[in-house]
Amino acid sequence: MMKYTESHEWVREEGDVATMGITDFAQRELGDVVYVELPELGKSLVAGKEAAVLESTKAAADVYAPLTGEVIAINSRLKEEAELINRSPEGEGWIFKLRISRPEELQALMDQATYLSRTH
Amino acid sequence: MEQRPPSITALFERHLALGAKMAPFAGYMMPIQYRSVLEEHHAVRSGAGLFDVSHMGCIDVEGKEAAEFLEALSVNAILKKAPGRATYTLFAHPEGGTIDDLIVYRLSRERFYLIVNASRKEIDLRHLAEYAGSYHVTITARFDLSILALQGPKAPEFFPAFQGKAPMEVWEEGELRLSTTGYTGEKGGEIVGPKESIQALWDELLQKGVQPIGLGARDTLRLEKGFALYGHELSESILPTESVSKWAVKTEGREFLGKEAMLRPKRYAFGVKLKEGIAREGALVTKEGEPIGVVTSGGFSPTLKEPIALLLVDRKLSINDHVEIAIRKRTSLAYVVPLPFF
Repeated sequence: MMKYTESHEWVREEGDVATMGITDFAQRELGDVVYVELPELGKSLVAGKEAAVLESTKAAADVYAPLTGEVIAINSRLKEEAELINRSPEGEGWIFKLRISRPEELQALMDQATYLSRTH
Repeated sequence: MEQRPPSITALFERHLALGAKMAPFAGYMMPIQYRSVLEEHHAVRSGAGLFDVSHMGCIDVEGKEAAEFLEALSVNAILKKAPGRATYTLFAHPEGGTIDDLIVYRLSRERFYLIVNASRKEIDLRHLAEYAGSYHVTITARFDLSILALQGPKAPEFFPAFQGKAPMEVWEEGELRLSTTGYTGEKGGEIVGPKESIQALWDELLQKGVQPIGLGARDTLRLEKGFALYGHELSESILPTESVSKWAVKTEGREFLGKEAMLRPKRYAFGVKLKEGIAREGALVTKEGEPIGVVTSGGFSPTLKEPIALLLVDRKLSINDHVEIAIRKRTSLAYVVPLPFF
């Protein structure tokens, strides 16, 4: 089930693991992404705090951790193919996976209908 | 400074109709991108792209002593340039700081026009007026004129007047001023004319399949070529001889405003490639930990597919020398490369 943050990240929760990335709306606003700074594997992230950086042709944008947890996978393809963020923001352009330590935080995130109503 | 609402160019409605992302730039609402900066960049490198650069300022300088006047203000030699030639040059203060970088176009013995940066138009006019004094010269702001840049390897196919011309030529066809000049390092040129003609030409070229290009790609294109952008590589506190434009400073056998002051540069401009990360303007540059300067422009080169930057540093560096650049909380290694990057 997809959930969304106020800062335009999406998160897909499967058991205690969550995959995250930025939304289609966010990639359109950002423009062409040319460089991605990924978090380190094993790093502990706190919901709402900086987790990664996307550099577009225009500017740098922080990506925030949608949930608290430990980074258990990063999308290494983004190192060579940052454009996946633009081409497939909610698919091949995922950024990292977390082992969720505070599942109750999911309740605070928006569902798709709410998120889309905010960005359209 | 007084805040005025942004001006618009004669092509404003067309930019909106094309769905451009618009933003204020140097007092004008300008198209930043139509589709994607990367796509637009590649369109210019591989085909042809059309830029609305009507925010830039055209200034006519005419009269018996127009050549002598411009020679006295210009770091590059103007007097010896034949009619039909365009020259990249800079104006400087007596203290050497850069007033603007510009192109001087010589239409005939006594008729010149300049194209100056949008952000510096009024300052250029004041500078010209201040020094015009004893010269037989008339200075006329032609900010009523619109300006297009048609750039790319296929530009001459779309605009046959550019065919068979060498770079840096200028000529007139009817009410249009044509020149093989530009800011992308590609073939093609620039077209100056009354707004109705420029609007019609814009429509015609797009209809033929030329891509419209925004200021976003204009910046990545010029950065790959190592060209200065005023306010970044150049300013009133940067000497022309401290910048990537120092090649244009011709000191031998001629005098010009600011010459003495710019003979002793204290800083040097270099291009670097970064190992990782994108360096942005203002980022600190160190060498083995010691601060030596700043990034003046940085970004991702869409052609080379790697990060590049221009630096202003307090010492001479050699090709392949390593420096460190601060990027947010980290530093990235960078190494000096020859300019242009591409």
